[in-house]
Amino acid sequence: MDNLYRPDLMEIIGIQQHTSDVKSMQLRFRDPVRAANFRFDVGQFGIYSAFGSGESTFNICSSSNWRDRIEFCFRKVGRVTEALWKLEVGETMGFRGPYGGGYPWAEWRGKDLIFLGGGIAMPPIRCAIWYALENRDDFGDITIVYGARTVGDLVFRDELDEWAKHPRVRVVQCVDPGGQTPDWKGEIGFVPSVFERANVNAANAAALVIGPPIMIKATLPVLERTGATLSNVYTSLENRMKCGVGKCGRCNAGPVYVCKEGPVFTFEQLRQMPMDY
Amino acid sequence: MSEQISRDNLRTLVAGWLAAGKKVVGPVQVKPGMALFAPLRSADALLLDRWVRPSNSIKEVVFPRHEALYGYRIGKNSVELFDAAVFEEQIVIGAHPCDAASLPILDKLFNWDFQDEIYNQRRAGVTVISVACTESDDECFCTSVGLSPSAERGSDAMLLPRADGGFDVRLLSDKARGLFAEAKLAAGSDGQAAYAGPASKFDPAQVGAFAKDHFEDPFWAEHALACVGCGACAYTCPVCHCFDIVDEGNGREGVRARNWDACQYGMFTLHASGHNPRNNQAARQRQRIYHKFYMYPEKFGEILCTGCGNCARNCPEGLGVLPVVTEVSHG
Repeated sequence: MDNLYRPDLMEIIGIQQHTSDVKSMQLRFRDPVRAANFRFDVGQFGIYSAFGSGESTFNICSSSNWRDRIEFCFRKVGRVTEALWKLEVGETMGFRGPYGGGYPWAEWRGKDLIFLGGGIAMPPIRCAIWYALENRDDFGDITIVYGARTVGDLVFRDELDEWAKHPRVRVVQCVDPGGQTPDWKGEIGFVPSVFERANVNAANAAALVIGPPIMIKATLPVLERTGATLSNVYTSLENRMKCGVGKCGRCNAGPVYVCKEGPVFTFEQLRQMPMDY
Repeated sequence: MSEQISRDNLRTLVAGWLAAGKKVVGPVQVKPGMALFAPLRSADALLLDRWVRPSNSIKEVVFPRHEALYGYRIGKNSVELFDAAVFEEQIVIGAHPCDAASLPILDKLFNWDFQDEIYNQRRAGVTVISVACTESDDECFCTSVGLSPSAERGSDAMLLPRADGGFDVRLLSDKARGLFAEAKLAAGSDGQAAYAGPASKFDPAQVGAFAKDHFEDPFWAEHALACVGCGACAYTCPVCHCFDIVDEGNGREGVRARNWDACQYGMFTLHASGHNPRNNQAARQRQRIYHKFYMYPEKFGEILCTGCGNCARNCPEGLGVLPVVTEVSHG
């Protein structure tokens, strides 16, 4: 029987701890045939599990060009993530997916790219940044503004420095006022205002904005002031999910199942949907 | 002309199925004032003599309140997964048309894009023998949602009660013809005109339009004031299908299970961050009506309601679909 809910068994081949409560993991399919055949689109998500504790939903935060592994990132905040936190390299966990749709790369081709992220929202942006850098000629200028409450809350910090070395890529890191350390060289302020100060022309840009609702709310007007239209501004929703395949009945935002029709939406689409996310 | 079966011969037929080891589910009296669809221990337990609306629905035969999706066993350096679902042949007898119709409605949900083979295998083993209704109560509204007391949708056979206590028999599928092969059937004329059912009480399309256009409306909060969030409406509904997936077991072995869930619970949509898109009962009441009368029709071309009235009958506060949508429909 082809069992929709039965996960692939994954070997944990790497673990990176980013903050006091955020880790990312690198996974490899235990089944070599599955490993060879697995494909996904950047922006899709998976359902990850620790056997005995349950399943949780996270974006696949690696590039689809990295054929030897997939990666995901999580914050230790509940029963499943506490169990995932305890797993070590070499141990086995579950993965099913990919689910949902990816980012619309065909529509982004030829445009400048703006990535705006807050806190733990970096992983679903990180995969897009790597994919864009791996297809660098397809895009114009790339601007990345990433902020967190404190320096200790920034994730994938080493990669931020690496991205900044690429041509026509500008990386701005920021922390909330009071969140800086004595040696902090980045900006101090919130993502929307830091982005506004960066003086980017967004007229020919596609923007991906992911973060807490308050950050998104404050960022949209700034983007519009810099020339972006809401049909070119994207986000990835993260409504609570159980099945990931449009059956368990909880992730709908209005008439739309985020797991099936999302998780990627433009703010133009969201504007026409009821506030249910 | 149709075939008929006497009530005694029907009980004998059911007793034969039970004797052959088949699982037969039908309405049984579990205590005074409460009937449930449950596995029959004997053919005598089957409630056939009077109209009764069980407090639950037959969705449990295809979508159990708890089922193992698969099992896991954790070894020293490995994890083993194994099939844990058990499938069996199940005969449902005494379903109402509002029960039987739930199965083709649920088929769509469990098979759009991703095929849920656990559901499908369970479903393939089910034969539904319905009994047409000869009366209804104040909560019944099948005629408002396109069904009727003798609607055949989802049924493998339809038994129409006769004045003499027997039934006219309509065999609608090969599965039913097989089960009735041993039955003592007699030829005869149709016993009586079918019961027309309650008068239509509202227009579902109007309810869907209201839910869509009045997403933010004080109407929902007013209704939700009475709701205690118990979820009885969803659990006793023939077509409510929301579920949770949890691990049951320990660090060595167990099952990953699917359990019923309900949109009326506060934690249903609670994010790990603490954010909750439906953080009040009004939003949750709205979701139930919105899903049934707007969202499901948008996706699957029909409403997610068979008019059984169980939500209202089982609600401790007099809510449920009918009281709410009647008010919507009548402005």
